[in-house]
Amino acid sequence: MEQQMPKLVRIERRESDLHLTYDDEQELTVSYHDLRHACPCAHCSPLRNEDETSLKLRSQVESFKLHKPSVNPVGHYALNFIWENGCSNGIFRFERIWDLANRRDPDGGKPYVHGAW
Amino acid sequence: MAESPITTHDPKNEGQGQGPVQASPQQNKEMEKNFAQMKRKMSMEEIGLKIKHKIMVLSGKGGVGKSTVSTGLALSLAQQGLKVGILDIDITGPNVPKMMGLDGHKLHVEGGRIHPAKGHLGVKVISMAFLLDDPDTPVVWRGPIKLGAIQQFIGDVEWGNLDYLIIDFPPGTSDEPLTVSQSLPNIDGMVIVTTPQAVALLDSRKSITFAASLKVPVLGVVENMSGYTINGVTAANTSVEIAGPGGKTIKSTSDENGNFSVTLDIFKKGGGKSTAEDFGVPFLGALPFDPGFVRGGDDGVHKIVSDPEGASSIAFSAIVKAVQAQISDKPSSSLEII
Ligand SMILES: Nc1ncnc2c1ncn2[C@@H]1O[C@H](COP(=O)(O)OP(=O)(O)OP(=O)(O)O)[C@@H](O)[C@H]1O
Ligand SMILES: [Mg+2]
Repeated sequence: MEQQMPKLVRIERRESDLHLTYDDEQELTVSYHDLRHACPCAHCSPLRNEDETSLKLRSQVESFKLHKPSVNPVGHYALNFIWENGCSNGIFRFERIWDLANRRDPDGGKPYVHGAW
Repeated sequence: MAESPITTHDPKNEGQGQGPVQASPQQNKEMEKNFAQMKRKMSMEEIGLKIKHKIMVLSGKGGVGKSTVSTGLALSLAQQGLKVGILDIDITGPNVPKMMGLDGHKLHVEGGRIHPAKGHLGVKVISMAFLLDDPDTPVVWRGPIKLGAIQQFIGDVEWGNLDYLIIDFPPGTSDEPLTVSQSLPNIDGMVIVTTPQAVALLDSRKSITFAASLKVPVLGVVENMSGYTINGVTAANTSVEIAGPGGKTIKSTSDENGNFSVTLDIFKKGGGKSTAEDFGVPFLGALPFDPGFVRGGDDGVHKIVSDPEGASSIAFSAIVKAVQAQISDKPSSSLEII
């Protein structure tokens, strides 16, 4: 059984990562590099489908100067991070942040599929 | 020398005194245009304040029931006693007026402002259809004209104070949602309508990522035409058995007037739910396929109006509750960000 996700109650933006506190008193971290590499927007997501483009995305986000993002809550279900450079489009649901904090693939190994628009 | 806000170079006036000169008709027109634009911008901001909540209804595919859901949400909210408006932005196939009993209605302009029509349950309606001579002939509007018309429809409408404004869009991720999200401040979010079929689902996934690029939150996904509702009449208070798909027997009991209804699952259910889960947005609920949803052809009465206690009305009010749960009147949750 998958562990029930606790509620995120506190985010501290540190030099190179987020320090997260959950309501069950777990304290976890997500590095800014991991966070930005996992951007769920329509532009970044397909880049993670192939190892080659995924690595490219990784080295791109690692090339950015580390800085604290601004954080905007989206509805009751997600956060949006605004960066000084690169992509700020992704809306990160709390489950996604929880997966990242637990070092799990937030896409669950599934490739991103574009609709036949 | 008195500073005039306007300087002109009219050869006839050259050397004739220093007083303010008349602007040319061309300049007047330019000023009027700028003034109208400024007024519209201010009015959009004011509209943003007078309308408490704004919800966009979108889908990837056409014909999945956006307008049915938009009108249903509006009516269901109105049933709660809230002040509700609906803006139908679909230029190629505006069908909200029909569903709101306003077929053939024309645009009402007074004192330079557009006044909405009042449909069922007092819901205020503005539709692109009010601009068309024959709403059944789709008009192909050129991009800029179309977007201008939308901005006008946002800035020039006298909505008054509203608790909710529901905005119904044409299908797909075209320019309209972008124009609306850029013109109208503080949109609460969007509701994405899908049907259980895979193609519609794929498209709705695209809408969700599209929502992210608009920076408008997704309030959730509604799965429409999920299952098929059969309505029938038999003797009062009798039990009815229907042979459903997969050899399943579905039972129901008629009411004191002999009316009964049962819902059969004809498509694989739950696609909307799993799409929602995949993308981490809320699942708002499912609506069955109900042939009498909008009484077609005749007076366009929505089931919510004609049968306020019926299964469709109940399904809608559950969806409305789920939507309202997503919209916070308080600034934010208890999340501390430092
Ligand atoms: N749950 C339902 N049960 C039965 N009929 C439905 C249901 N939902 C929608 N319909 C019918 O399906 C047709 C299409 O619905 P609707 O006009 O709401 O879709 P739409 O997504 O707004 O379409 P468009 O993309 O053309 O704007 C209408 O005739 C409507 O009455
Ligand atoms: Mg429609």
